[in-house]
Amino acid sequence: MKALTANRLDDGEVVFWNAGAWREAFVEAEIFEGEDAAEAAEARAKGQITLLVEPYLIDVAPVDGGLAPVSYRERLRALGPTNKLDHGKQAAGGGGIEVLAHARGSARSTGRVNLIKRK
Amino acid sequence: MPRLIRWKDGRAEAAEDPFTAVADDEVVPPGDVIISLTRFQVEGEHLLGQGRQVGVRVEPDEAVEALAYDLPRIAVVALAFPKFRDGRAFSAARILRERLNYAGEVRAVGDVLLEQARFMVRCGFDAFEAADGATPRQWAAVATRFHHVYQRAADGREPAFAERVRA
Amino acid sequence: MVYAYDRIDERMLADRAAEFREQCGRRLAGEITEDQFKPIRLMNGLYLQLHAYMLRIAIPYGTLDGAKLRALAHVARTYDRGYGHFTTRTNLQLHWIKLRDAPDILDELAKVGLHAIQTSGNCIRNLTADPHAGATADEVDDPRIWAEAIRQWSTFHPEFSFLPRKFKIAVTAASQDRAAIRVYDIGLRLHRDEDGALAFEVLVGGGLGRTPYLGPTIRERLPVKHLLSYLQAILRVYNRHGRRDNLWKARIKVLVASLGAEEFGRQVDEEWEASDKAAADLPDTELARIRAAFAPRGFDTLPRVSAAFETLEADDRAFARFARHNVKPHKMAGYAIVDVSLKAPGETPGDCSADQMDLIAGLAERYSLDEVRVAYEQNLILPHVRLDDVPDVWRALAEADLATPNIGLISDIIACPGLDYCALANARAIPIAQDIARKFADPELAETIGELKIKISGCINACGHHHVGHIGILGVDKKGEEYYQLTLGGSGEDDASIGQILGPALPADKVTGAVDDLVAVYLRERQGSERFLDTYRRAGLAPFKEAVYAEAH
Repeated sequence: MKALTANRLDDGEVVFWNAGAWREAFVEAEIFEGEDAAEAAEARAKGQITLLVEPYLIDVAPVDGGLAPVSYRERLRALGPTNKLDHGKQAAGGGGIEVLAHARGSARSTGRVNLIKRK
Repeated sequence: MPRLIRWKDGRAEAAEDPFTAVADDEVVPPGDVIISLTRFQVEGEHLLGQGRQVGVRVEPDEAVEALAYDLPRIAVVALAFPKFRDGRAFSAARILRERLNYAGEVRAVGDVLLEQARFMVRCGFDAFEAADGATPRQWAAVATRFHHVYQRAADGREPAFAERVRA
Repeated sequence: MVYAYDRIDERMLADRAAEFREQCGRRLAGEITEDQFKPIRLMNGLYLQLHAYMLRIAIPYGTLDGAKLRALAHVARTYDRGYGHFTTRTNLQLHWIKLRDAPDILDELAKVGLHAIQTSGNCIRNLTADPHAGATADEVDDPRIWAEAIRQWSTFHPEFSFLPRKFKIAVTAASQDRAAIRVYDIGLRLHRDEDGALAFEVLVGGGLGRTPYLGPTIRERLPVKHLLSYLQAILRVYNRHGRRDNLWKARIKVLVASLGAEEFGRQVDEEWEASDKAAADLPDTELARIRAAFAPRGFDTLPRVSAAFETLEADDRAFARFARHNVKPHKMAGYAIVDVSLKAPGETPGDCSADQMDLIAGLAERYSLDEVRVAYEQNLILPHVRLDDVPDVWRALAEADLATPNIGLISDIIACPGLDYCALANARAIPIAQDIARKFADPELAETIGELKIKISGCINACGHHHVGHIGILGVDKKGEEYYQLTLGGSGEDDASIGQILGPALPADKVTGAVDDLVAVYLRERQGSERFLDTYRRAGLAPFKEAVYAEAH
C-alpha cells in the first residue's frame, strides 16, 4: 500500500494526496493498493509546481488501530518533532495521531529511496 | 548562430556571434572560429596564418596559463561551465584579466545562468552564451543590482574600503 | 565594542533582501522551477526540512548585541513558533518558516544588521571565532577584527561562490582554542612572533563529516597584513584543484590530504607569490576603521575582588556551583565572563525561546556592555559582567531556566536537530541528548564526573561534532531503524583528536545505559585528577568496550 506526499510550496506544510486534493492529516490520505494508480497520481502531482515541492510515494502498512507509514522518517513527518509534542500535526491529537504515535516496526520506505536516487 | 550577450561599459547588449564553435572532430570551416585548447596547440599557428580570427575554448580542468604566450593573437578565450556549479572558470577569468593582462573577449559558455551574471562580470567575462535564454536587460539588472562590492576583482569596481576613504 | 554596519554594509543587506524577494516571487508565480530555485534559496540559508522551511540566520563570529537578539526574538515570535535553535556554527535556525514570509523576515533582520547570507551553498560560510574574544586575558588581539575583515571580503565573493563544496573559516587569537580551529577548512590562530609582531598560524584541511581530519599547519607565521591575499591564494588553489566528481571528496581536506600539507602549502605559496598582494590585501585605513569598532569601551576601574560575589559564593551552594562552572576570568579586574546554559536537563540543546532571548538581551544591555556571544557548544555568553553584578545576573538567568551550572559537564551536550527536523538526518539526536541529560541531571553527580563532552550527530555530516566528543554519538539508519554508533576519545580543543569507534551501533533505548556504563568505568579507573578523556587515553578502549558490550549480551 502506498500514499502520495509532498511539502506545500508556500509554507512547507506536509500534505497528502486524496483524489486530486491535498490534505494535511495522514488519516485523510488516499491509500493506493495498486502501482498504476499511485504512479498516475504522482505524475499529476509533479506537474503542480506552484503548489508543491518534490511529491513522492511512501509505503504504508497496517498497524494497531489503522494504517501508518512504514518508515519512521515518514511517521515523524506525519506527526511532528518528538522533542516538542505541541508542534506539528500531532498537536491536534485525535485517534489518527494516536495510531501513528504508537506505530512500531519500520523499514525504509520506497518513496524515500526514490527521493535519494533522483538527486 | 547563438545570440550573444555582450557586456561593455556597464551595459549589456545583444550581439551576433561572428565565431563558429568547432568541435575537435569537425573540419574547420572558413571564417572566424573557436577551437579547443588541444586543437589550438596543434593547428593554431596554421589557422592564425590564414588571417582569420581564432578563439580558444578552455575546459575547467585545463590551465589558462597554457595560453600565456599566445594571448595577444587570440581574439576570444571561451571558458566552459559544464555545470553551473562548476566554478573553476571564475578563477580562470580573473587570471586571464589580472595576471596575464588579456584584453580580448572572455566568453562564458556552457551552463551559463542569469543568477551568475554579477559574479561573471566581476571576474572579467564580457560575453555570455546564456543557457537559460536570459535577455540582455535581465542580465544587466542582475549584474548591477548591488550598489557596492567588498573586494577588488577584474571589473575595476571600487571596493567598499576604498569608497569609505573617499567619503 | 561591536562593529556597527555603516551605510555601505546596510545597503548590501537591503540589496540582498530585495533580490531574494524578487526570486521568491518568481518561484511562487511558477516562473522558475524548484530545481532552479533550490540553489538560490539555499544560498540564502532557506532549507526545506521535514515539517516546514528552515531559515538559518548568520551570526558572524558569534557576536550579538541587545538589539540584534531582540530582533531574533521578534522574528521567532512573529514568523516562527516562539523559539530558535543555536547551532555549532553559531548560527540561529528557525524551524517553522513559511516561504511567503522569508522576504519580510530578511527585511526585519536587515534593520539591525542581520542576514542569512552564505549560511548554505558551496561558498565561504559565515565565520566563527573565539566566543571569549575581547574579554579573555589569554588573547594577543581581538580576533573579531580579522573575522570582520574576512566577513566583508568573503561576502558575495565573485570568484569563490561556486566552490567544489562549502568552506568554513574559524579564527582565534587566544592560547586556548575555544573555536575548534583544527576541524575547520581554514583555522587561523593569531599569535605574536619573536619580534612581537602579530602573525597568523594557518591551518588548512581540517573537517569532520564522513572522513574526519585535523587540519595541518601550512604556515606558521603569516604577517597579518597579508591575510586576505593569502586566503585568496588558498581558495584559488582549492577552487581550481579541489575534486568536483564526488560530493564526499570535494572538501578541501581531501585535496590537502591527497597532496600532502607540504605540497599543498607549496602550491599556495606559488599562487600567492604570483598574485598582486596589494590589490587583495586590506589597506591599513580599513583595518584601523574595523579595529576602532572593536576597541574596548565602557569598562570601569574596579577592585579585583567583589564582596557581593564572594559573600554569596560562601553562603549559597547553588551560586557557588554556578560560579565554579559558568563564570570565567575576564581580562579586566572586577569583571567576569558568564556562560548562559542552553542545556537545562530535559530541554533541547541550543534551543532558546523568544522570551529567553529578550531576557538575555536585557541582561546584556544592563550588565554586559550590550554584548552577547554564541559559543559553538550551543550556549550563550554574557562576556563583560561586573563581579558585583554576577549574583543579580545569576538570579535572573535562574528564573528563566538559563543558569544550569553544567558548562563543560556531562549534561552540556551538543546535539544537531537530527531527524526530528532535518531532511538529511538518518536518526534523531535530540531525544538521545534529553535522555542522557535527565539521567545525569543531579548537579552533584555531574560535578563528581567532571569535564565530559558528549556530542551527538544525526548523520555522518557531523553537525553535532561527534568525532570530537569525549563521547561521540552518531545516529545511523540500520535496516530502517535508528541506531547509534559510539566513539570515545575525541576532542576539538587544544588536545584535538578524532574519536575511536567503541563497537557495533546500539539501538536508541540502549544509548543512555551505555553512557552510564562508560561513566562507571571512568569513575572506577580514574587516577588523581584525570578527566574522562585522560582516563580513556591512558587505559584505552578495552575496559570501556567490555563494560558496554558485556551488558548487551
